[in-house]
Amino acid sequence: MKIFIQTLINGILIGGVYAAYSAGFSLIFGVMDVINLAHGELLMLGAFTAYWLFKISHIDPYLSIPIAGVLLFLLGYFIQRFLINRVIEKPAIMSYILTFGLHLIIANTAVKLWTHDFRSITTSYSGANFSILGITIPVTRFTTFILAFIIVGFLFYLLEKTDLGRAIRATAQNKKVAQLLGVDVKKIYALTFAIGAAITGIAGASISPFVILFPEMGLSYTIIAFCVVVLGGMGYIPGALIGGIILGVIQALTVTYINAGISVAITFILLFIMLIFKPTGITGKGNV
Amino acid sequence: MKKLLLILIIFVLVASLPLFGIDRYYMRFFTYLFMWIALAGCWNISSGYTGYIDFGPVVYFGIGSYSTAILMTLLKIPFFISIFAGGIIALIISTFIGLPTLKLKGAYFAIATFAFAESMKQIILCFDRTFHVKFFMGSYGITLPICNNYNLFYYLMLLIAGIIVVITFFIEKTRFGLALKAINESEEASQMIGINTTLIKLSAYMISAFFISVVGGIYAYWVTYITPDDVFNVHKTVQMVIMSLIGGMGTLIGPILGATFLSSISEYLGAEFVENYLIIVGIIVVLVILIEPSGLYGLKKWKKYLKQTK
Repeated sequence: MKIFIQTLINGILIGGVYAAYSAGFSLIFGVMDVINLAHGELLMLGAFTAYWLFKISHIDPYLSIPIAGVLLFLLGYFIQRFLINRVIEKPAIMSYILTFGLHLIIANTAVKLWTHDFRSITTSYSGANFSILGITIPVTRFTTFILAFIIVGFLFYLLEKTDLGRAIRATAQNKKVAQLLGVDVKKIYALTFAIGAAITGIAGASISPFVILFPEMGLSYTIIAFCVVVLGGMGYIPGALIGGIILGVIQALTVTYINAGISVAITFILLFIMLIFKPTGITGKGNV
Repeated sequence: MKKLLLILIIFVLVASLPLFGIDRYYMRFFTYLFMWIALAGCWNISSGYTGYIDFGPVVYFGIGSYSTAILMTLLKIPFFISIFAGGIIALIISTFIGLPTLKLKGAYFAIATFAFAESMKQIILCFDRTFHVKFFMGSYGITLPICNNYNLFYYLMLLIAGIIVVITFFIEKTRFGLALKAINESEEASQMIGINTTLIKLSAYMISAFFISVVGGIYAYWVTYITPDDVFNVHKTVQMVIMSLIGGMGTLIGPILGATFLSSISEYLGAEFVENYLIIVGIIVVLVILIEPSGLYGLKKWKKYLKQTK
């Protein structure tokens, strides 16, 4: 029973980590219908920002979170403004291939700069745990789990309560009408991508103390983000939390009770079945 | 018909190359090239014309490889029957997968096909360990009997590439092809004028699955050793998509141009640093999308335009 509860908690914590880096993917898809295949690279860049700041200037990875956020915000703005905006009116495949091209460029330039080496950040609290009623909780994962709620909460507040959020929602609902009402659609797109990239960079910096970092790590994270966002409902931000936690728990249970290989298989089978039978996600709020 | 004749002449010329005794290195390069022309051509048939972007065609490559490998090693079935059987297996699987997935639109179709390809890979990877059998051999892979007849693989790949080109040629000329293009333009309008869009989409998907699987079978016997990480590798999918795209999607010549172009630069650059090759592919892809989304084939239009302005 204790093993079961421990597995469940592990799954929920991993789910939070998943949610933290999938929310930006969902935001970008929800507003622009762009499947950002370079999503994992944004995460990788965030994580590497934290890594280099730690390595060179001995800055704690948690303190580099805002720096990663700002850098990725600028990069995201640039990518949308000068690249994706040019193909946004064209068939959706153009944006997938474009972002895939960016994935190749960013990941392989990173390989050239930083080699294939596996790296990790070892801080004083890296292996720290605390336990409640005999259940062990790793500190770093717990922090990212909390951060996931902050990210989703922030996005929710931004979209629902601010003028920028209203403009973003209007653009997502009906681009032409938004334009008529004086919304600068291209600028909103650039800001949306920038915000999506920034929170992904933040998530990248926050996972850097407990994951292995290497330039090609991105693609596998993009794939997990896919699964999470489809499970929770594509484009529905709180869905990232729900999808993330469900996926995390399912994976943790299959790893503990069957084997690790089957856990990945089940992830993809689940994704496939979900798309066929309920493409709007478990919440039913995804846009189709 | 002039186009077909030209293709036939090139075909005969290329087919006679081994008779002049070309270098083993070039034999291997050309065999790869024909394989990619066939694969990119298959993707072009199912996705290039309809605009339904298949992100998991590699699954049929893997299914073909594994069917051929298992039939040849476990059941000792001759090679030619095995690759054909692999094609039939792919045909059956593609029917069951195509029917539900082809109902999905845009991004959802792309993700669903991708998810299917990855699930097959993972199932083959962990099947033996989970059920305690020795069938797919998991990550150890399967070793096939060795065949040193490199001419055989050269001609087989050339033959399949030729068949794909001819099929594409007829697609361009027939109502079937028009229906595929109509689906790309507007699926609802096509349905309204009486096109059975589900049947058309499914047929294109199945044709493509069958030939990809046959190519996979030939590949397995050619390289003699297959693993799920190789034959189900997502990079094969990516190559197919990018080749069609660089050459020109939904055209006859596009996949041939794209495959030749990408295979050549891959041979030239990839030999030294694979990162350099991938960065350049990335840059080309971004430039093609931003400047000329109809690919290399679209450059022809530019020439016409330049002539007119002179």
